[in-house]
Amino acid sequence: MAAYLARRLALAIGTVFAAVLITFLLVHAGDGSPGAVKAGPGAEAAEIAAQNHALGWDRPLWAQFADTLGDLARLDFGTSLIDGRDLGADLWARLPVTASIALLATLLSGVLGIVLGVTAAVRGGRLGRVINAGAGVALSLPAFWVGVLLVYLLSLQLGWLPATGYVPFAGDPAGWLQSLLIPILTLTVGGAAIIARTAAVGMREALGQEHVRTLRAMGTPEWRIRYVHALRFASVPVVSVLGIQFIALFGGSVIVENLFALPGLGQASQAAASSHDIPALISVVVVATLVVVVVNLLLDLVVAALDPKVRTA
Amino acid sequence: MSVLPLDDVAADPSPGRRPRVLRRPGGVFGAAWLVFVLVASLTAPLWQPYEVDAQDLANRLALPSGAHWLGTDPLGRDVLSRIAVAGALPLLSSALMLVVAFGIGLPLALVAAERGRRTERVISRLTEILLALPLIILLLAVIGVIGNRIYPVMAVLGVLLSAAVYRVLLGVAQSVRQRLYVDAARVNGLGSLRVDVLHVLPSMATVVAVQAAQLFGIGLLINAGLAFLGFGPAEPEPSWGFMIQDASKYLFDDPWLMVPTGLVLALTVVAANELADALAGHRAPAGAAGRPSRRRARPAPEPTAAAAGPAATDAAVLRVRGLSVAVEGGPTLVSDVSFALREGTVLGLVGESGCGKTMTARSLLGLLPDGVSVSAGSIGWQGRELTDFRSVRGREIALISQEPMVALDPMFTVAHQLTQPIRRFRRVGRAEARRVAARLLAQVGIVDAERVLKSYPHQLSGGMAQRVCIALALTGEPKLLIADEPTTALDVTVQAEILSLLRQLVRDTGLSIILVSHDLGVVADLCDDVAVMYAGAVVEAGATADVLGAPAHPYTMALLGANPHVPDGEPVPLRLASIAGTVPPPGRWPTGCRFATRCQFVRDTCTEPFGARPAHGSGEVLCVRVDELSRARATWDADAVGAETAPGADPLPPDGGQPPGGSPAPAGPLAAADDHTAGVPR
Amino acid sequence: MTSAAQEAPAVPALQVRDLVVRYGSGRRARSAAPAVDGVSFDIAPGETLGVVGESGSGKSTIGKAVLGLRAPAAGTVRLHGQDITAMPLKRRSRLAADLRVVFQDPYSSLNPARTVGQTLVEPLALQGVRGSEADRRARVALESVGLPGDAAGRYPAQFSGGQRQRVAIARALVCDPRVLVLDEPVSALDLSTQAQVLNLLADLRDQHGLAFLFIAHDLGVVRFLAQRVVVLYRGQVMETGPVEAVTQAPRHPYTAALTAAAPVPRPAEQAARRAAREALGIGTAGAALPSPSGCPFVPRCPLATAVCSAERPPLRPVDGSLTACHHAERVVTLR
Repeated sequence: MAAYLARRLALAIGTVFAAVLITFLLVHAGDGSPGAVKAGPGAEAAEIAAQNHALGWDRPLWAQFADTLGDLARLDFGTSLIDGRDLGADLWARLPVTASIALLATLLSGVLGIVLGVTAAVRGGRLGRVINAGAGVALSLPAFWVGVLLVYLLSLQLGWLPATGYVPFAGDPAGWLQSLLIPILTLTVGGAAIIARTAAVGMREALGQEHVRTLRAMGTPEWRIRYVHALRFASVPVVSVLGIQFIALFGGSVIVENLFALPGLGQASQAAASSHDIPALISVVVVATLVVVVVNLLLDLVVAALDPKVRTA
Repeated sequence: MSVLPLDDVAADPSPGRRPRVLRRPGGVFGAAWLVFVLVASLTAPLWQPYEVDAQDLANRLALPSGAHWLGTDPLGRDVLSRIAVAGALPLLSSALMLVVAFGIGLPLALVAAERGRRTERVISRLTEILLALPLIILLLAVIGVIGNRIYPVMAVLGVLLSAAVYRVLLGVAQSVRQRLYVDAARVNGLGSLRVDVLHVLPSMATVVAVQAAQLFGIGLLINAGLAFLGFGPAEPEPSWGFMIQDASKYLFDDPWLMVPTGLVLALTVVAANELADALAGHRAPAGAAGRPSRRRARPAPEPTAAAAGPAATDAAVLRVRGLSVAVEGGPTLVSDVSFALREGTVLGLVGESGCGKTMTARSLLGLLPDGVSVSAGSIGWQGRELTDFRSVRGREIALISQEPMVALDPMFTVAHQLTQPIRRFRRVGRAEARRVAARLLAQVGIVDAERVLKSYPHQLSGGMAQRVCIALALTGEPKLLIADEPTTALDVTVQAEILSLLRQLVRDTGLSIILVSHDLGVVADLCDDVAVMYAGAVVEAGATADVLGAPAHPYTMALLGANPHVPDGEPVPLRLASIAGTVPPPGRWPTGCRFATRCQFVRDTCTEPFGARPAHGSGEVLCVRVDELSRARATWDADAVGAETAPGADPLPPDGGQPPGGSPAPAGPLAAADDHTAGVPR
Repeated sequence: MTSAAQEAPAVPALQVRDLVVRYGSGRRARSAAPAVDGVSFDIAPGETLGVVGESGSGKSTIGKAVLGLRAPAAGTVRLHGQDITAMPLKRRSRLAADLRVVFQDPYSSLNPARTVGQTLVEPLALQGVRGSEADRRARVALESVGLPGDAAGRYPAQFSGGQRQRVAIARALVCDPRVLVLDEPVSALDLSTQAQVLNLLADLRDQHGLAFLFIAHDLGVVRFLAQRVVVLYRGQVMETGPVEAVTQAPRHPYTAALTAAAPVPRPAEQAARRAAREALGIGTAGAALPSPSGCPFVPRCPLATAVCSAERPPLRPVDGSLTACHHAERVVTLR
């Protein structure tokens, strides 16, 4: 168990390192440079070079990389090239928005997906086929299109929820939830579908196992077989998929934040991409990777708690 | 030994049948739609009714009409034309993404599967890191650096997704490589590249296709999503994502605009996923997963002519009469089986695979697979008709099966798995249940019960796990134990111990056992009575000493002759006795004796239907010629030297046939002789 | 059938010396007990050597090492005198074409997507034989195992298990080898089919003078087919010698346990054997792990003494067979 956790931790650190490395190399591989951004469009080459020198762009690569690593280790994310704002503080403020959407959407997807998937596997028949087909369609729908449809339905037609905008949690929790509800529902449509499929397959596989036959031969009540034994067996792949879902939703939040005008990491990354704001790009990638890695570590713990083979290896 | 009927033998479809994808409506739709969209968008410049930038400001945001089949956008441009033209980019760029993803992922997976663990570990760690990176944010970073160039960005997406491709394909490649035909090819000296191309890849084709279809859909969504954010092609070149973004601005007054583009995009992704599903062959099963089959209403049990088993005076705890088991709406698997089990004795059901012994045993607990049920006959348990299996399962009748390691739940400790049924059956508290569990483990010969109680099944050896399974079976204090090939998966020394244990349990507790086995030696060791089964019927039954010592049925004789163990002091034979041909599968049983086509003593009378004859005291035998054969002291001959390499030794059915069944045996020396047969004495 | 090769011929068909094979890599694997731990044997041309053991004995691993599917950590493998120990598989196909294999599982040893003919022709192509000559030899091979020549156009799914095993044997024979490794070739077959295939192997062996390395877990089967036998336990040789001597009068406690445990289908005789087996006093499998030095059978052996745990017993001749037991002479008292 300790070895397993140590390995996952090493992997987590490696992932963050790789993210920094990749972004760093990307940035240096491109045509642009921070000097060009800072000097503005139409600037003279000499001006750009001067800016680059001031920003340390012409130093050897490994030195710049070491500096970047050092800064990040101190949680110093630098300042934006465009408006000079403190990136660290900015991202820190944006993180809860994206994280709460992704987390709540993953949670809701998990609950809904497990219920639907287990029902499909256990009940079978027409209901099972309908759920399976429905899930197949739901996970194919583009999230932004679903979002617009939900806005049309829930906001414009029924007037239940606000279409766009973010209400901070402090001071108005109800408003906060309301402002996040449509984005969360948008992401849940696809997320629950994927979880439902995984859960259905996992349950079906679990119920076909030899040990289920033993349990039945022992006269174990059917509900126990399904919801204690089979569910436990199926939970391992479901938890793994939940982790992948969170990564996907975290990335998918970019689009959703744009659609619903939410001030999260996604919005920041989009702005940074449009304006070639290099420090902002690096910092948002690092922060996003960090969050994903931490959540995955937690899920690894859950998998270890669930699966004795992992625990005792 | 298989539980399924023989018909299900071919796992891979024979070539020449319609491809799997076309057999499902979803697959047909998916393939058709994708082809349609691809063709429509690639040829759009040829047939588009309007130019993509032809504005018609008088006709803005129009609903569908004869002039504009899908309406117009905020600048009056024809939506249909724009959707069609816009399709080329996402489809082609996603295809590029696929090429990159598989171009990297597939060779990597093959290499990793082939090389040693170290190479695989390195590659796997690297790809795990890639997989953990947030996709879209990273793509935005790429765009931020290289600008909004769609094809390179999609290629980068392909690089990132190659990690996912690698992950999935590595597992498949490793499992295919474990198949023995890959080893055989390698031994024959086939180079590794050719091994991969000729043997590994074809078996991976389905998974590759499924993954490709799924990733294609994901590529489309990401491409459209980026366009939605404004990172698509520059205006006025249309893109699906941007058109939806545009439409969302006019949601309040003109909601229709959103529908056509979104539908086309959604349908295309649905098509890709439906294609993937069809290729994968996933089906929501018609029945609920794994529910034990319900017994249909059967006709009232009629007393059969061959009411077999020991005389009614013996205390028979189990009396099976005329039991038939069949696939619902399909062939019979077990026909008219009768036997009786005396208290405190062991009855063996012995036969080769497909003879129906496992079906017979499982029907005693109502544990037949889905779609299979009892079609006739009765099961009498302790003097009453057994209809409610739930009430006897575990309590009066228990089951142990072939592979003890998988028969236990891998997620729970041994203690948990034992104490749960103990508490349920004996109604005791948790502490007492644990004490009982420890006692049961001691009873089955486990010395360090405490350690085993705390263990998980995967930490136990095969023999230990089987002992735990036996203890589990004993928790309900049953009177009958059904042992379905309990030692087949165990080493011979471990088998001997388990058999001794079962023997001891019978002696000490008066337990009765029905032992299903294919091994005559095991039967000779443990069973007091035996029933030999062939093609769904009992061909010989009686006390073990009688049946195995002086077999009356030719099949039993043949089985004993095929066994290489010879009695002490006798020389090992030059050749063994074998039975030419194969077992007729269910549904193709001949009338009369089912063994006739393979029997060395066959006559014309054998093809007429007949009933069982009494033999071995209170036993029976299903052979028309039994009296003649015993008078002539007939024996089943061993093969002649060189018989197996002679042409025609193992004939095949005509071309296009299913796995063979019932091929006629080559005429043995006795088949053509007249009535009195003279066997060659050993 | 029972006579052993009294004078060893000049060049054995297959010779294995001090073979050591480990699983896994890294420090942990190196310190753990190897799967095959110092096994040596010779097979004369035309002779059948049975290698018998239970799970964990290393018998399959020996087969893989001989075939080149697993690299040994130490020891040598010689085919007709030529050292093939570390020879990569591609070179083997040219220089050591005499060595072929038949595997245990008839269902996964034939590629389901290729016809029987294509499967048979593949090894020929690597020898440079193609076209009509290859097809002819494929048909001849099929007929020599009792199948019709026109079966070449069919797919494995159309054959029964026993017939697929015949095809696997035909594939092994199509290049006219002189040595065959048979890894439990009948274990997955029904009894009557098993008898057919065993008869077939005996016929082929007699007709072509093949040498067999016959790996099995069933002593009765080995006694039928083999002239000499090697008994393995946890990767080490416990006893080896003529098959009659070893199976009928074992000189090692493990061999005694193995022969006593195999049940025979004659109830009266089996009852006597059971009583004898229980009187042997061999301990339960799955008992404590043996010490790294010394005899691996110590935790289960009724004759074990201090020297058995301290020193690994060498193979020494006792009454006609070679046995690795310090107390081989007392094994007679166990029966």
